[in-house]
Amino acid sequence: MKKIILLSLILFTSIVSFAQDFAYGQIDRADLDMMKYDKDTSAHAVVLKEYGTSRIALTNDYNIRLTFEHHTKIKFFDSKEFEQQGTFEIPIYSSDGMVYEDVEDIKGTTYYKDDNGNLQQAELDPKKVFRVRDSKHWSTLKFSMPALRRGCVIEVSYKLISPFFHNLHTWYFQDRIPKVSSEYEVHIPGVFSFNTSLRGYLKITKNTSNLEGKCFTFGSGSADCSDIVWGMSDIPAFKSEDYMTAEKNYISAIYFELEEYTDITNGAKTKYTKDWKDIDYYLKSERWFGGQLKRNSLMKDRIAPVIVNKTDPLEKAQAIYAYIQNSIKWNEIDDFSSDDGIRQALIDHKGNAGDINLALVTALNAGGIQTEAVLLSTRRHGNINKLYPNIGDFNYVIARATIGDKTYLVDATDPLLPFGTLPMRCLNDQGRVFSLDKPSYWIDLNTKQRENITYALDLTLRDDGKMKGTITRYSSGYSGYLRRIEIKKFNSVNEYVENIAEKMRKTRIVKSEIVNIDSLDKPVGETYEVEMNIYDNLNHDRLSFSPFLLNQVTVNPFKLAERDFPVDWGMPSDERYIVNIHLPQQYVLDNPPQPMAVSMPNKGGSFFTAFDGDNQNFSFSYDTRFNKSVYGPEEYPYLKELYNKIILAQKNEFVFKKK
Amino acid sequence: MIKRGLLLVAGLLFCTISKAQSNYAAERIPQSLLPYASAVVRNDETTVDVKDSDNVIYHVKRMITVLNKNGDEKATPDVYYDKITSIRYIKGQIYNQYGKPVKKISGSDFDDYAVSDGFSLLRDDRVKHYRKAMTEYPYTIEYEYEIKAKQSMFFHNWEPQQEPGIAVEKGTYTFICEPGFKIRHKAINLSDAVNTATTKDGLKTYSWHVSNLKAIRHEAFSPNELDLTTTVMIAPEKFAYESFSGSFSNWQQLGKWMNDNLVTNREELPEQTIQFIKQLTENITDPKLKAKKIYEYMQQKTHYVSIQVGIGGWQPFLASDVDKDGYGDCKALVNYTKALLKAGGIESYYCVVYGNPYEKLSLMNDFASIQGNHIILCLPFKNDTTWLECTSQKIPFGFLGDFTDDRTVLAFTPEGGKLMHTPKYTADDNLEKRKASFVLNDEGLLSGSMETIFSGTAYNYRGEIIDDAPTERIKEIKKYYPINNMEVKKLEYKQDKSQQPNTIEDIELIAKEYGAVNDGKIYFSLNSIDRARPLRQAINRINPVCIQRGYTEKDDITYTLPKGYRLESELIKKHIDKPFGSFVMTMSIDDNKLVYHRTLQLRDGNYSKDVYQDLVDFFQSVVDADEYNVVLAKK
Repeated sequence: MKKIILLSLILFTSIVSFAQDFAYGQIDRADLDMMKYDKDTSAHAVVLKEYGTSRIALTNDYNIRLTFEHHTKIKFFDSKEFEQQGTFEIPIYSSDGMVYEDVEDIKGTTYYKDDNGNLQQAELDPKKVFRVRDSKHWSTLKFSMPALRRGCVIEVSYKLISPFFHNLHTWYFQDRIPKVSSEYEVHIPGVFSFNTSLRGYLKITKNTSNLEGKCFTFGSGSADCSDIVWGMSDIPAFKSEDYMTAEKNYISAIYFELEEYTDITNGAKTKYTKDWKDIDYYLKSERWFGGQLKRNSLMKDRIAPVIVNKTDPLEKAQAIYAYIQNSIKWNEIDDFSSDDGIRQALIDHKGNAGDINLALVTALNAGGIQTEAVLLSTRRHGNINKLYPNIGDFNYVIARATIGDKTYLVDATDPLLPFGTLPMRCLNDQGRVFSLDKPSYWIDLNTKQRENITYALDLTLRDDGKMKGTITRYSSGYSGYLRRIEIKKFNSVNEYVENIAEKMRKTRIVKSEIVNIDSLDKPVGETYEVEMNIYDNLNHDRLSFSPFLLNQVTVNPFKLAERDFPVDWGMPSDERYIVNIHLPQQYVLDNPPQPMAVSMPNKGGSFFTAFDGDNQNFSFSYDTRFNKSVYGPEEYPYLKELYNKIILAQKNEFVFKKK
Repeated sequence: MIKRGLLLVAGLLFCTISKAQSNYAAERIPQSLLPYASAVVRNDETTVDVKDSDNVIYHVKRMITVLNKNGDEKATPDVYYDKITSIRYIKGQIYNQYGKPVKKISGSDFDDYAVSDGFSLLRDDRVKHYRKAMTEYPYTIEYEYEIKAKQSMFFHNWEPQQEPGIAVEKGTYTFICEPGFKIRHKAINLSDAVNTATTKDGLKTYSWHVSNLKAIRHEAFSPNELDLTTTVMIAPEKFAYESFSGSFSNWQQLGKWMNDNLVTNREELPEQTIQFIKQLTENITDPKLKAKKIYEYMQQKTHYVSIQVGIGGWQPFLASDVDKDGYGDCKALVNYTKALLKAGGIESYYCVVYGNPYEKLSLMNDFASIQGNHIILCLPFKNDTTWLECTSQKIPFGFLGDFTDDRTVLAFTPEGGKLMHTPKYTADDNLEKRKASFVLNDEGLLSGSMETIFSGTAYNYRGEIIDDAPTERIKEIKKYYPINNMEVKKLEYKQDKSQQPNTIEDIELIAKEYGAVNDGKIYFSLNSIDRARPLRQAINRINPVCIQRGYTEKDDITYTLPKGYRLESELIKKHIDKPFGSFVMTMSIDDNKLVYHRTLQLRDGNYSKDVYQDLVDFFQSVVDADEYNVVLAKK
């Protein structure tokens, strides 16, 4: 299942193509008359035509500028997409007052039939294009198209002129509404060389290229330009599914990465990305990455008191890890390089993922633990393109410590994470290991971590109809981490227990005990002594009782008949549940259940129940396991069916019969 | 030279701070303020100094102890500013738990952002947000800032307890002005009266004081947050705002001023549009039908876009612009509708309201000031006052729904401002009425159809999906009904868009394995259609009970049982009657048909906090009844 395809840029054909943008300001009456989009009758709007151009050229005053032109025509069938598709936001970057992006030639026209059925058009008023300064470097141009009404067609075009010529715009062929056609033309002087990749499931239906001689002249030097067009037609709307990873992995789009630039005046080549060796070298020498990894002495003094008297390397590593966890607070920003240096992060007690985990790598090395940095892309950021080295695919860094013959992947951004457990955001495909002295290499981000919960209930039915006993929950592995997050949402353990008590139905918590909240490597154990008002009294011949007191599944989380994208839970999970029941003398269990077992093919998952004991003192248990992190669309029906069986099994109730 | 001078000053400052340090220690917080608090405001000193009607200085000094991570965001200052509000300075200091100063805060520690509310296309106000962090708790932050507002039309409310989870040890609010600058004031949930005095410079001061306010928390069925926390509001008599000035002491005057200065003269329409409206309505004589026609024309011609800029935050776009562009915010669309109606010869009032579906917040009867966050339109037909929400392309004529129902609003009438009340939808009005007929076969397969009528505020319960394509709706509707394996054979909607609108949902469905077949028995849920959710218990309930909006659910479900089976479980009946609601459930067997009725009603109103436990028990009984499992046995 190849999701990312490498496209070749150097594919000149002799066919002369007339790739060019469609003319602005022409409206086809048939488009206005169209009542629905035949290829997708559920669409509220459709892009009729879309053309993008990116062109690198010299300005009159000999500056290299990248001009991105966007031209689109959208048909609205009803009002539902007015706000989404009828409003435009163009982000603009400026690095400082001198180097900035600019938008020119904004044009907008709305074509509609007036109340008498005559064709009318309304132009976008330039005064109603607003510019908002969002932050130091970013602004947004915003405008809303005039005179939108059911059935109208809008046409918009603008130019974004940028000095950041290495950032060739990604082109999204696919959107939340369908498109009839979408084309992207890239016009690049031969002095630039870009890597190009295509993501998504859809295929390019048009690809032409042309060579234009001597289009780029600077002094005595000149270069030819290549002009390439990619096109798709009949592009379906993108629809996301539950439990899916980043949409970016699946939306059809074309991405560019500058590989090399040749200075036209002297022929000097600047390599941007070539192979991993270059990236390794770049990272090593980069001040905010390699530069931070070399700050051994900065860390040595700081960790000395932390590891004093510790001889066991694992204990040492854990102590250093805890020190970094508690010294720098994560500002929720993903990055693989340091923002202001790890020294500053330690002073401010705040930093991005790069600050924290580069500090961790450096500190562990300073403490004699052999540690490397692992670059990765978070789940939200999407999968890594492995076709060619591209540093832009990464947005996060973690540490990989080797202790004896074991390696540990660690992330210090959250003080509640145990050593060797990664947060969900990091569990995405593979990571690239970097160190100052070895070539980089790929590793699986497989930490063998699981979600693991065990419930144990011990309940006695009393003569007054109440059930008394204990409910215990052990949360280990990743579940322990999640439980700690839950507990820390409250100001105190008491307030946490109060919240649990308030959510339990007909149940009073008499006493509670929670252990290992702060021992991150041990399971969190919660024990609640409870009194449940199950029955008003025991004056009944038959009492029904559902043993699925906690976490009963009543509705299947999977509702789609089939899926296009995998279900990605990040890690396997395991839930065990055991309940011991003690009945009073006058009652016996009427219907001891038959044990059952259901499994998915290839040990993908299972559900089984067991029963043990006599008809007055007995135990019932069940166990739900999902052994894989990711289930492909072909496994989806089994996953859905397993849930069905769980729901069905949980419908059965015990009947207690009076003797 | 200059540097040395600065150092000296800093040194002096340090001395004063360290002398007072013990006050900053976290252990000095009274124990009684700790429950449910993640931060405690140790002291809040807010001063508003009216130098002139276009020069108002806010001086805010706050000291807050953060007890744990949850309190971080509550303690860090966010300072808002815009074109006519400037920040003069911000500074501060952080102390560790023992009250020892550890870090200084200066202007450069703040990030600057455009205020984004997630729906506005454009707003021009900005915020400075403090970004440095502490890793050890508790810590105390003290900050001080001054902002200058070039307007005196409204003053920020003083709310020492800004959100749930914050306790307040003490706080003082002081308002300083020339004796000639008259104000009105109102304090909510404050036992101490205002103190007035005159300074030695002859200025008048008003001050309010609070102490030991316990943290509030989110509790279900609570009154409006405004009714639970302390607020001091101040309104001027004479004021200035940019190029405007004016005076008011009651709603009539304020409404008149706003209407005359901000709204009137923005109604002009192109002649062509006026003629079009005349034509459109020429054959209609009934003014209400005329208004409906015009309203529906406006709906199909416009859509909502939020733009809040400068005085534009108060002033609607010109009606002629909306006519041309076809979009606007609530002010613009109301103003435009008003202009269209006027062209049709129909009078209407521009009305200010608080729009919020969860809290019915009224403008204050007894205190006129700038209030509200939304605009609607009122048609003052005799004995038939009609209200219009102008920002939706779909809402029926004359229907407000839960966003602006049952609350006091300010109408701009030709005589000036007038408080009016929007219609209330009662517990009986807000009805979800369902009739279903199912067949269960001996394999547990359920099939059949059901029809549901949603009326009152329930009208919009399917608003999220109703305009989707049929295939999308079928996908989504499964999330509304907890019927496992539900497959939808047919799903249709009909809407009656009258002033008492309703939505009718018609479904045909099948669900395999709805009943679990086991050992000659079939188990199935009596009600998988309309299930109540348990209400969480409250061990230390603080707030009184307030049910903001009542509703009624009526379900009639018939199950045709498989041949050869008899009912093994009991036929149960339930009837609960409480002041706040009622529940009736019956089951009966008629030949091979199991007939189930369910009526749940919750009635709006205010009740004491002790009623909360009754409410929990009530919902628990409903949930128990809803979860009833039927057992069939082979004959």
